[in-house]
Amino acid sequence: MKNPPASAPPPAIDRSPVRWLRQNLFNTWYNGILTLILGGFILQVFVAGLTWIATKARWAVISENLPLLLVGRYPAEQSWRLWLVLLLAIGLPVSIWGGKRRRSPGVGWIYAFCAMIGISWLLGGGFGLVPVENSLWNGLLLTLLAASLSTVLAFPLGVLLALGRQSSLPILRIACTIYIELVRGLPLIGILFMAQFLLPLLLPGDWRLDRLARAIAGLILFNAAYLAETVRGGLQSLPRGQIEAAKVLGLSAPLRLWLIVLPQAIRMVIPAIVGQFISLFKDTSLLALFALAELTGIARSVLAQPDFIGRYAEVYLFIGLIYWIVCFTLSQVSRQLEVRD
Amino acid sequence: MQNTSPTNPAPIIVAQFVHKWYGQFNVLRGVSLSVYPGEVVVIMGPSGSGKSTLIRTFNALEDYQQGTITIDGITISDDIKHIDRIRQEVGMVFQQFNLFPHLTVLENVTLAPMWVRKRSKAQAEAEAMQLLERVGILTQARKYPGQLSGGQQQRVAIARALAMQPKIMLFDEPTSALDPEMVREVLEVMKSLAGSGMTMVVVTHEVGFAREVADRIVLMDSGLLVEEANPIDFFQHPKEERTRQFLAQIL
Repeated sequence: MKNPPASAPPPAIDRSPVRWLRQNLFNTWYNGILTLILGGFILQVFVAGLTWIATKARWAVISENLPLLLVGRYPAEQSWRLWLVLLLAIGLPVSIWGGKRRRSPGVGWIYAFCAMIGISWLLGGGFGLVPVENSLWNGLLLTLLAASLSTVLAFPLGVLLALGRQSSLPILRIACTIYIELVRGLPLIGILFMAQFLLPLLLPGDWRLDRLARAIAGLILFNAAYLAETVRGGLQSLPRGQIEAAKVLGLSAPLRLWLIVLPQAIRMVIPAIVGQFISLFKDTSLLALFALAELTGIARSVLAQPDFIGRYAEVYLFIGLIYWIVCFTLSQVSRQLEVRD
Repeated sequence: MQNTSPTNPAPIIVAQFVHKWYGQFNVLRGVSLSVYPGEVVVIMGPSGSGKSTLIRTFNALEDYQQGTITIDGITISDDIKHIDRIRQEVGMVFQQFNLFPHLTVLENVTLAPMWVRKRSKAQAEAEAMQLLERVGILTQARKYPGQLSGGQQQRVAIARALAMQPKIMLFDEPTSALDPEMVREVLEVMKSLAGSGMTMVVVTHEVGFAREVADRIVLMDSGLLVEEANPIDFFQHPKEERTRQFLAQIL
């Protein structure tokens, strides 16, 4: 037997595109035909789409209604406030992430807190600013507002429900389980209808929630139940030794939860949580059914303008693009979070 | 290291007739053991003999159904306040290290002093750095546990327990999960800790450590204390047949 050489270079592989086509798309006569047919079809769709966008579509419906689609009837002379809000909002993830990077998370959270107060002041007015009624906040502004408010409030509620479901107190555990399973067994649209019509009956008479608040409440109640199940997955995947180590250091039960259990459990399920927030963002389009003029709702009212009757394709393509941009941005941010710092 | 019962009459751990059941299975069958301040007690025995369970009852990680356990004058009961106080006095090192992976080495060590003992961050960090130097991890303080070797992680775990300035240290098979070449560095740290007068209860299979460092060796089998002796008697003149069998298997 001959000894093999100590090490050999890998065999050369022809990576030219022509070869790739031959090997994968035209390797038999029927694959060749299939490739030609499908390729022709894709080309046709692509060309037709581009032609329509470039020549047939009337984009005036978008350009003339752009402010309406983005911020609705928010008074134009006050629009500087919205730019400031946008600036503050962009600063939120940056500051929290930056604070963690520089090992001074406190600064990030203080900024986040101030920014939240600043945002609600700028939007709502009062204290020296002209108040702007919330029926004037429409379009993308309302979509973002409803989505972020629901997200911010559903998250703690979901964590509490997850902890409740793990609780050693039977009453708490059973109550949380029933709530979670009940909500997960109902369609979101049903929950939103219940929030609109049932909530006013259940709450004390002097609690008058307006339509928007009831819709947001519905989104919160729905998403909290799903979040609870996601977070529970994270809680259960935490090794028991982590809790034991925290116990033997003398950390009390609330400190164990706050310092050891939740940070690890939530970090484990961040991708799933962001995925849920993305679907929450898209679900806000259902609010259009309750005459709330968020992005989808305002698109419907734009379509009712006499000048632009029938311009469905332009309008829905445009709002589709906006939904996609926001969702894609969110999923990119979550990828950044997954990379351990 | 030899200041046992005659010179220091009040034991810091007193376990009397401790019984524990897992369901129908009687893990501890009436164990009585006293440990005196400054003493190093090594518990040996085959797996499943209840030795880990025994030391885990000393800081209430496991409950027990009969008997009494008193740590530094406080009896372990269901009272959560007592349990938290006892845990602050008793440090523990686990087989699997159980460092907090989301915190740096330094944060692992300063966490409990800051939140439980209410130390300032600066003071806790200064003390932590001293401890990390003592266990030889000073240069790794800003790393995360996942970036360290097993031996280094276990030494951090020892520093983390010491940061609470415990009166007693429990070691639950601290070298069993380590690669052979890392066992020594951990045993060296434990040896120097014993030399500094710490009260230690160590569950281990390391015969060398037991022979050299222990004041007393205890053999457990099926939930009972079989033999209790100083290292010389234990290894050279065991009284019990069960001890002889066990030694024949491990030596």
